[in-house]
Amino acid sequence: MDKSKHLESVIRTHQITKEQQLLDKHIQKKNEVKEALEEKYGSNIYPPFNSGSYAKNTAINTKFDFDLVSPFKRNAFGSNGTLEQMYNDVYDFLYDKYKNEAEVKKQKVSIGLEFYADNEGDVIKIDVVPGREFNLDQYKEDENLNLYVYYRYGNFNSGSERIKTNINAQINNIKDRATKEKDSIRKIIRLLKIWKANKGNYPTKSFFLELITIKTFDNNEITGSLWEKLKTVLEYIRDNVTNENFKLIDPGNSSNDLADTLTTYEKQQLSSDMKNMLERISENEENLKTYFPENEKFKEKESVKNGYGANSGIPIPPPKLNFG
Amino acid sequence: MVANRLREINAIVENIPGVIIVKQFELFDEVTKGYISVFTEGLIKAIEFEVEIYSQYPFKWHDSETIKFINSDLSAYKHIMEDGSICIHTAHSPVLSQKLNYDIQAVISWIEKYYINKDSDHHYEHLIVPQKKFKDTLFAYFFNEIDYQFSKNQFGYLDYSNLSQGLFHKEKCSNAIIQKFYSRDRKELVDVKWNIQFKALEKHVGLFIFIKDIPSINQRWIYAKWEDFVDILPQEFLNFLHFVEDRHKKSNGTHLPLFIGYNISEAEIHWQAIMLEIGKFPIFGQKINQQWTSKLHEERAIDWAMTRNCSYKYFFGRGHLCEKITQSKILIIGIGAIGSIVAKTFARSGCTKLDFVDFDVKEPENVSRSEYSFVSGLNNKTNDLINELFMISPFFEPSQGGYEFSEAFNYFLKSNLTNNQNKSEMEKFINSYDIVIDCTADNDLLYILSQLNMTTSLINVSISNHAKQLVCATEQNRYEFVSTQFNGKVLEFDVEDLYNPTGCWSPTFKASYNDINTLVQFALKHINLKFKQERQLRNFVLETEEEGSFNINLKEF
Repeated sequence: MDKSKHLESVIRTHQITKEQQLLDKHIQKKNEVKEALEEKYGSNIYPPFNSGSYAKNTAINTKFDFDLVSPFKRNAFGSNGTLEQMYNDVYDFLYDKYKNEAEVKKQKVSIGLEFYADNEGDVIKIDVVPGREFNLDQYKEDENLNLYVYYRYGNFNSGSERIKTNINAQINNIKDRATKEKDSIRKIIRLLKIWKANKGNYPTKSFFLELITIKTFDNNEITGSLWEKLKTVLEYIRDNVTNENFKLIDPGNSSNDLADTLTTYEKQQLSSDMKNMLERISENEENLKTYFPENEKFKEKESVKNGYGANSGIPIPPPKLNFG
Repeated sequence: MVANRLREINAIVENIPGVIIVKQFELFDEVTKGYISVFTEGLIKAIEFEVEIYSQYPFKWHDSETIKFINSDLSAYKHIMEDGSICIHTAHSPVLSQKLNYDIQAVISWIEKYYINKDSDHHYEHLIVPQKKFKDTLFAYFFNEIDYQFSKNQFGYLDYSNLSQGLFHKEKCSNAIIQKFYSRDRKELVDVKWNIQFKALEKHVGLFIFIKDIPSINQRWIYAKWEDFVDILPQEFLNFLHFVEDRHKKSNGTHLPLFIGYNISEAEIHWQAIMLEIGKFPIFGQKINQQWTSKLHEERAIDWAMTRNCSYKYFFGRGHLCEKITQSKILIIGIGAIGSIVAKTFARSGCTKLDFVDFDVKEPENVSRSEYSFVSGLNNKTNDLINELFMISPFFEPSQGGYEFSEAFNYFLKSNLTNNQNKSEMEKFINSYDIVIDCTADNDLLYILSQLNMTTSLINVSISNHAKQLVCATEQNRYEFVSTQFNGKVLEFDVEDLYNPTGCWSPTFKASYNDINTLVQFALKHINLKFKQERQLRNFVLETEEEGSFNINLKEF
């Protein structure tokens, strides 16, 4: 098995453009929500923008959501208004507006809108991230925002902390690096996202995986095939994430350490997942498919001659191999 | 030979520090007897013991040492047996001198701990109840904790049901459970929880009184004669006994158990049973001030029966799975070899809420490697397993199950995947369980379950031919994981040497109960550990190695 060839196919079958219809629906819904926020908050809000993987060119087509950052003015909720008031006000507005067509949930720093499946069974998910500029009109100059932490997020306590960040800087950092070294960084970020999506509800944020991939590239001479590059990143995560002084600095705010978004146990689990993955793939490279599966929906059909019972004339149905 | 042994015993004992032989050891009817005095620091005066050494010594007999140190003056102290001997248990030694040293050292330790320091143990020790037959049978009654507060001297009726007749060594033993408590005017007080099969057993009448305090003079021995109860049992209760005996006089000669309840801790009640015979209750009428009054036959011995507290904490006290599993509502889909082993292990390890789905009928040839018995013949697997588990655990409470439920489950799941509304009903149903274990090796079902939005812990377990590997899929990608493992390129196993009974279109794997159970228990141990540690349970494979010695390698994904 050519591991890099398989990985290329994994990336190809997960290209977002393969789900054009779903992508279009997301873009349309995102615009609707954006307009609704602008209408509701008028001059108190700067134009909301998409900050998710689509904006960073690292999207995959199996797990689709859009992050809509909503930058508010410093006095949008009164001169003494709190971040909590901002968060709850946006939640109340979205809840009232979408309660009949979507599940509206309070999430770590965002408000999740999960629209009920449409006639074609498509589910659209938009996460609205409310943020507030530091001082009046400062956003225009520095694009810095304070976010509200609704519930415990790694080592950030709920309610008690605000994450200061510059989301545009985050986007540009990833987008720039991913574009310049697109044959490596962007592919590896996509592969890690596919791995994460495959794990279900995994505590590590995509942003964390993006930054740690870039950090690996910054700290290592990364050469060789796609698999070799991926392997170097997996090894780097395995060996470093649990180190006491491991930091992952937010390009949007150098005092934010993304390593704090995971608890000690979650870091151990991430390191141990990398270790297991590397061991299993090294024992049998077929296991690569378990961690990085192709999207069956867009997989190119293999020719019959590679199929089961090849060259026997009459095809033989595969036997049952697992038992209870 | 005998003379040598006697000489040796005398010589050894003589040389143990703090011990003096008061009367030399001699042989009487195969028992070596002698008198010793033992002195240790803290004693004012040495304590004398009659020592009996039996022919098996230095080996044990059943669970007892074959040496006794007897002093009937010590019977009020802790760990003294009915005959005044100290209860000791010492380490094994086949060497007479070493064992004698161990045993006398144990006596000295006892003197220091319980005689000099008057230590009390941290755990409660039950009263010693002489085990004796009533008529020609031993009687044993099992009780469970109940959610009811009795007041002192509250008495009334109870229901009990006979469970089985057994043999206790050479004696017949009748086993029964307490079912329900009633007040003296037959109003229901509290139901005792057992599995529904036990609850359905035929009921018989018994009596109870809650005396609150322990029925013992020295906290060691239970009262021996009715005279000990004279100041304990209220007159009202004696009148009640007379009333009951009178009401049941047609059943003269039959037994009726009386349960004496008392607190052994603030929250825990213990019940001891006394066997009464209708027509021979230990009471008589006496005319006092022109009125007939019931009195106790004080000189009569009390016929105590055996009781056992079978509440959950004792029943599973010796070992159970972690609470996260035992407190869960669990569904096992597929109860063939793997599923039935999982089910029985869960039932024996403290799980109570277990449901099964399987449309299959148990055949005689299933018995050799699953948890079924031959005796029930052809029988739906679900019904059969439910019966097996009822017999094992008094706490087993299946909520759904049986053949029709299994058929409906399978049909519903496989016919409605594309119907969004029904799909959400399926999700609701499956998610009503905390843990779902799919042991069907039905890859269609695996696929369907992988398409559902699950919040429950869904665990898929299957095994390869010759039980070479066990594959356990626990994560969202379980369908792809299982398919990849078994697709022929990852796990290596023999696909030719399958078991083909006559004319069977569907060959099955070859593996013995031992092969399968070894892997299933290993897997359950790993799963239990992860639940206990509150860690993520990842997909894993158990791979066996048989070259040289047998090994199991756990590979986590």
